[in-house]
Amino acid sequence: MLENFSFRTIVEYLPLFGHGLLATLWLSVVSFAGALAVGIILCAMNLQRSRLSKVPAKIYIDAIRATPLLAQLYFLYFGLPRLGVVLPELVVGILALSLNSGAYIAEIIRAGILSISRGQVEAGIASGMTYTQRMRFVVLPQAFRVTIPPLLGQAIVLVKDSALLSLISVSELTRAGQLLASDRFMPAEGFITTAACYLVLYYGLKGLAALSGRWLGVQSVRSGA
Amino acid sequence: MIEFRGVNKWFGALHVLKDITLSVEPREVVVVCGPSGSGKSTLIRCVNGLESTRDGVLVVDGHRVGDPTTDMTELRAEIGFVFQSFNLYPHKTALENVTLAPIHVRKIARSAAEEAGRELLARVGLADKFNAYPSELSGGQQQRVAIARCLCMRPKIMLFDEPTSALDPEMISEVLDVMVSVAEEGMTMMVVTHEMGFARRVAQRVVFMDAGAIVESGTPEEFFSNPRTDRSRAFLGKILRH
Amino acid sequence: MIWQQFQSLIGSYPLALRGLGMTVALSLISLVLGTLIGFALGILRTGGNQLISRVIGAWVDLIRGTPFLVQIFLIFFILPELGIELDAFTAGIIALSNLAACFICEIVAAGIRAVPTGQVEAALASGLSRWQRMRQVVLPQAMRMSLPPLVGQYVLLIKDSSVVSAIGLTDLTRVGWLVVQRVPNGLLVFAIVGIGYFVVCYPLILLARRLESRMGAAHGEVQL
Repeated sequence: MLENFSFRTIVEYLPLFGHGLLATLWLSVVSFAGALAVGIILCAMNLQRSRLSKVPAKIYIDAIRATPLLAQLYFLYFGLPRLGVVLPELVVGILALSLNSGAYIAEIIRAGILSISRGQVEAGIASGMTYTQRMRFVVLPQAFRVTIPPLLGQAIVLVKDSALLSLISVSELTRAGQLLASDRFMPAEGFITTAACYLVLYYGLKGLAALSGRWLGVQSVRSGA
Repeated sequence: MIEFRGVNKWFGALHVLKDITLSVEPREVVVVCGPSGSGKSTLIRCVNGLESTRDGVLVVDGHRVGDPTTDMTELRAEIGFVFQSFNLYPHKTALENVTLAPIHVRKIARSAAEEAGRELLARVGLADKFNAYPSELSGGQQQRVAIARCLCMRPKIMLFDEPTSALDPEMISEVLDVMVSVAEEGMTMMVVTHEMGFARRVAQRVVFMDAGAIVESGTPEEFFSNPRTDRSRAFLGKILRH
Repeated sequence: MIWQQFQSLIGSYPLALRGLGMTVALSLISLVLGTLIGFALGILRTGGNQLISRVIGAWVDLIRGTPFLVQIFLIFFILPELGIELDAFTAGIIALSNLAACFICEIVAAGIRAVPTGQVEAALASGLSRWQRMRQVVLPQAMRMSLPPLVGQYVLLIKDSSVVSAIGLTDLTRVGWLVVQRVPNGLLVFAIVGIGYFVVCYPLILLARRLESRMGAAHGEVQL
């Protein structure tokens, strides 16, 4: 039973969890930046007319969405050495998270761009703007606002997904919990503390999402139609 | 200024413009009317290339529309287009909406563009709304911003696609007044509208369309007092009843 | 070398089949349980009782705020400490069903909230009971809204089932992990594992897209 739940051991291991929290935080930030880059490139490819650029992007996005992150992670972890590429576990993990989230972000951005009404584009065309000018001044600034909330949602998913990196021995939050569980045979202490740390990150991001929602709500965007 | 010669257009199997021949002279105001689905909006959307035509010739300001050698973005800068649904940019203030194209398409200095923009917004009666976002404006106010947005490009031609049909009745006249003043300054205008009062006041010509073809064309006096075809009589009967 | 690997891979196909079977079994059982519990929770969440609604909301937040891997570890390692003996399979089912139920609860609740109040008022006015209103008027309309995200959620569930390999269940991912110890070609092994998931998930993704576009079209009709 849990009557001998040991807060003392948790306190003892607190520095480890602190490290784990920071590691999860910064590797998530790096992965999210990478995912944004992957997503923007994929989305740009997907919005082209040429099938040569569209089809590979679509295949990539579907392949990522129809397979589990863990299988993708193992694919890179066990597969890259096969190609002679030997990378530290941490780098493999960040790579996997970026490549995975990038596919979802590509779809978020695409939905944002497609949500801009035809009339907005036509107004740009009618005033003599080029494609680039329309994108830059009319479409993207509006799409940006629409995509902020789902992007934050994806950030939450990414932070939680990063727990899988513990399975290839990256030292982060979940790994800290596993260490406490196996060193002291105290899984309850280990994983409850881990969960609590994730909840801190979760509520932080959720708060941010609410804040951005309010900020975007103030400059309420209503299309003229 | 605008010349259609035998222009046809299909949407799939639907023949939406049938052998249109029409010319609009400089400083002329032409009102296009007709029942919904008659092709009148499609007609003026062809003028600045929002719709493409399949055969026939369409010359605007000396350039052939749809010709590969015609730089459409340059031509469009000379043509103002006012939409039924305003299409103001919701993320930009009234003044920013007005100055965006002058700054980036005409490459006018920001300060000069803003000065011109303020002047035009004041002219359409919105001197106190420079920094308002579209969502903070009424429909009538939004449409006046849209007209100022076109005027700020110093266009040679202005096209209006049912500019008052999305408006509440009490806001229609404020928009029409602005359009009348633009017409009286000698702007070349093509206006798709059912506002027959506007046609009487400023149009030199009324063109009546039905089922994709121009059925009748004449001065407002002729058209209203003595419509020549059954279809135009039926149409006038419907819109003048209320 | 490659040929040998292939032979060795082909030799492990019974294991692969077992893994695929395990993945399908886990997903299917949790899908059914998760859907039933999720609908019940979703209806309770919008049922008007503040306390129940808050408690469910808090639980959903806890589950949504923590990684699934951590949830599995908690269930697998802590329930026995509370005197509940369970094997890895049961632990996996509990974890997956709970996860699915929480997400489905939110989907169903959102669908119910999206039904216009006029509909409920019309049902009230015609004298339908509380349950009749739910069953005849609200749920059918809510279902139309909820169906595409629900199917999307099933895809997530199948993919999440891969995480139970961490507590030693021999599912598709675990089979890949076992095989790659003998056949050191991670690209090949996990490409095959990926194809296994793809075959199950992709049809569901296509279905979700179709439902979504059909719903979009239906919306268009209403707007006209």
